[in-house]
Amino acid sequence: MKLKVYADRMSQPARAVILFLKLNGINYEEVRVDIAKHQHLTPEYAEINPMKQLPAIVDGRFKLFESHAILIYLACSFPGVADHWYPADVFKRSKIHSVLDWHHSNLRPGPVTIVRNTVLAPALGRPFNPEAAAEGEKFLSASLSKIESIWLKDNGRFLLGGNQPSIADLSLVCDIMQLELLDESDRDRLLDPYKKVQQWIENTRNATNPHFDEVHKILMKAKEKRHNQRLNGANNGWGGPEMKKTLLSKI
Amino acid sequence: MKLKVYADRMSQPSRAVIIFCKVNGIDYEEIKVLISKGQHLTSEFAEINPMKRLPAIVDGGFKLFESHAILIYLACVFPGVADHWYPADVAKRSRIHSVLDWHHSNLRRGADTYVSNATIAHVAGRPLTPQAAAETETLLLSSLSKLESFWLKDDGCFLLGGNQPSIADLSLVCEIMELEVLDEKDRARLLGPHKKVLQWIESTRNATNPHFDEVHQVLMKVKERLQYQRLKAAKSEGGSDMKKPLLSRM
Repeated sequence: MKLKVYADRMSQPARAVILFLKLNGINYEEVRVDIAKHQHLTPEYAEINPMKQLPAIVDGRFKLFESHAILIYLACSFPGVADHWYPADVFKRSKIHSVLDWHHSNLRPGPVTIVRNTVLAPALGRPFNPEAAAEGEKFLSASLSKIESIWLKDNGRFLLGGNQPSIADLSLVCDIMQLELLDESDRDRLLDPYKKVQQWIENTRNATNPHFDEVHKILMKAKEKRHNQRLNGANNGWGGPEMKKTLLSKI
Repeated sequence: MKLKVYADRMSQPSRAVIIFCKVNGIDYEEIKVLISKGQHLTSEFAEINPMKRLPAIVDGGFKLFESHAILIYLACVFPGVADHWYPADVAKRSRIHSVLDWHHSNLRRGADTYVSNATIAHVAGRPLTPQAAAETETLLLSSLSKLESFWLKDDGCFLLGGNQPSIADLSLVCEIMELEVLDEKDRARLLGPHKKVLQWIESTRNATNPHFDEVHQVLMKVKERLQYQRLKAAKSEGGSDMKKPLLSRM
């Protein structure tokens, strides 16, 4: 029975898992669970993951959720996965665990908070909340600063001085990609101070293309749609000039 | 060179690591880094952990931080650690990763936020408004509820239906123990409805005693001191204001 992956490619951790599968030639069936349509909240999906979050996998009868746990499971269970994704060496592996753990309470909340209080608010049935978004920005900047100065301090192209990507690079870069949904100028403003971070994102993208771009297509389409709507000057609730003014005024 | 563990026993993840070392007879040196005195913010400690958080370990030349990463490292590297702490079986191990990951954004965030807010309120002599208290307790209550209905749904004494504790039990129970510093009635209100959770805390305590109690001594002393302050505040004139907003939500 083929591995099933329950995912929505608008979800950062779901993208990390799908990308890993494609890169490693793992045979799988992608079952789309559309968050915007609340499909993750159905009782059917609760049978797969009672926490009602994405991604989740079913491998034979084995069910698993939480993207880091899934990435580790896939790296350990499927033959032919190169060592650099999740090294056998206990020291290298422990450092990867350290980044992945740090990620939960540090990088991950940043883009999520900004995006869900601004551009994705209407889709999520939430009000715009520029104050919460501004808090999210501060939080994100602190995390990007730590990635720049700590996780990327060594001379490799990837986190922890690696010259090849690990599951930690996939997970964290997919989270940062969520910022593509913001206005180009906001995204640039947030990332601009962090040169190593920008280079690392590009390195990860190059090391994992064409799959990286393919998996991020839906996100980029959403970005394009927003951009066109702004050009047309529509105040469509995605955050037009008023939203931009409020965010900029917080700098 | 002995393993060094940088810890503050008031820190939930520090306690989990220390209990694990003691229970497994791992030889280590505990280096106290007191959060209340800002010792985790010094440049000396930043050499150990640039994130300035606890716990952290140094094993020979190898430095590591994040308690889950540390627990896994210790389980893999030190001989004689029984398999139930971090099973070799990939499926069992993956489920433990799943709980540990879930923990960060759920129980840990919920309990930590609730206790921080309640403590700040206590120290400031300014109780939480019912609305603020309700907001901070939502995540904690939902996490306790998920523990009760999902992580403890199977028949074992421990998480995921285990009959022996894993590093996940240690990590999560140490987190819940932080609730000991709350007003007794508040703690009873939060935990009381969750019978399996209460039983599981007791099972974990029994499986890891006398080390569990010994490592929690610092916390229990703080609990005692806070209880005394609350009683004193309640007895003195106008002091009953502290208790009112918390009690009024029962």
